[in-house]
Amino acid sequence: MRLCIFEDGKFSNLYPLTYTRPVFDLRCGRTRLFEKIVRSFPGVETVFFTRNHLQPIFGDRSKSATNDMDALRGDDVLFVNGRILAWRGELKPSRDEVAALKGEDIAYVNAKRETISKFMSGSMDELLGRLKAELSPLRADVELVEYPWDLVRNNPKAIVDDFESFSGRGVFPKMNSKVEIYGDAGRVHIAETAEIHPFVVLDAHAGPIIIDENVKILPFSRIEGPCSIGAGSMIVRGNIREEVTIGPVCRIGGEVESSIVHGYSNKYHTGFLGHAYVGEWVNIGALTTNSDLKNDYSNVEVYVNGNLFDTGDTKVGSFIGDHTKLGIGCLLNTGTIVGVGCNLLGGEVLPKYIPSFAWFTRGRISRGSGFRRTVEAERRVMSRRGVEMSPSYVQMLQFTYDMTKEERENLIKRSKGRAIPEA
Amino acid sequence: MSETSIEGRVKKIIAEQFRVKPEALKPGMSFMKDLMAESIDTVELIAAIEDEFNIEIPDEDAEKNQTVGQAVDYVKKKVTETAK
Repeated sequence: MRLCIFEDGKFSNLYPLTYTRPVFDLRCGRTRLFEKIVRSFPGVETVFFTRNHLQPIFGDRSKSATNDMDALRGDDVLFVNGRILAWRGELKPSRDEVAALKGEDIAYVNAKRETISKFMSGSMDELLGRLKAELSPLRADVELVEYPWDLVRNNPKAIVDDFESFSGRGVFPKMNSKVEIYGDAGRVHIAETAEIHPFVVLDAHAGPIIIDENVKILPFSRIEGPCSIGAGSMIVRGNIREEVTIGPVCRIGGEVESSIVHGYSNKYHTGFLGHAYVGEWVNIGALTTNSDLKNDYSNVEVYVNGNLFDTGDTKVGSFIGDHTKLGIGCLLNTGTIVGVGCNLLGGEVLPKYIPSFAWFTRGRISRGSGFRRTVEAERRVMSRRGVEMSPSYVQMLQFTYDMTKEERENLIKRSKGRAIPEA
Repeated sequence: MSETSIEGRVKKIIAEQFRVKPEALKPGMSFMKDLMAESIDTVELIAAIEDEFNIEIPDEDAEKNQTVGQAVDYVKKKVTETAK
């Protein structure tokens, strides 16, 4: 059997996070969605399908066949929707040839080699459409991620799940006597190369804590479980409250609660981040803070595909795309979306929606420094962490810039209309 | 002045950037002294002009344009060169 993890048409519900990565590359807990699926089928060869502009980047990183229809030939294939939250031991697909559906969405399809050969032509979407039409339907009892806040909401469960999946966990470094593990030390994993400085509290009462290789936690930090801190990250006097995932190579300080920082992003300083998902290569300046609860305690609304959408939830923070920079003292309203490659200056509450590659300065949205200079700056940012911006990565950013141009220009025009006094 | 002329288009962009009326802009006006330009203004202005005229303005060229008139003349020259 082969495993095929595919992206369906709902990726745009998860913008801005999915402009620059496949849905299944999003993080929830310590692991990303595809890692949870792969973990459910150990030793099985995996093929991925995503949007074409993401294929070179994801294919390179995953070292797996990506968008390769030929890789599906010659074997039975289990097609799994990349939006599935594959909880440990719970993803047990039917062994029969079936199309398992969650509502109208394909959750998974189990298809024999002969059936795949019969329907194989055109794109992955077409193949899945034919398999859905021809195979016996089945109601799937699974969870699919629909919106970005679903990742944040499921993050605590995912951290616990990842902790339980971890073989060989334990506290491996020699700990300084002034480090306090408060609660059950068996609920804490600290990799051997992690460095925990004196006057750090690890509070595992409410959930497990995972601290990966080469993590450094500086004095006067408090980490509350469930929490996962990715390899090479540093916590600088952080008040890391419950339900936080910090991906690899981040620098995090200040107060963080119920949030996911995907990786390679910085929030060194004082300021609150709550119920948020922050992409890669984001920098959050000192005192920048996001709201995650409205003063009237009503449901938070978020812009999804151009429309304000009721999340049905009273606690929703911000969703920030890759390569965005927030200056000092930015105030993000509840349920704010900030696109990819933005530059925001603070001093007032920001608009609830900032399009990709836009600047927000002195009360208005602008084109900022344009695409070329943004890429030059981001190339420098990435090189500081030893990552080279490849030509295919630039193409991927260019694709994102082009596809968001109309929306950006419209909002710039509207912003100018508001900001310039009538002559 | 026509808004479709190069001068008109450049002045429109400058006016929007500094939130003044286009007719208030004089050739001798300094970006720094008269329009109180900050570094952000300069970056945004250059990007907006590059976008409008589909040209590329090197940083060393941008630094030489200190007044409205210099910027208009520079863009006129650049657009003519690019069209050749």
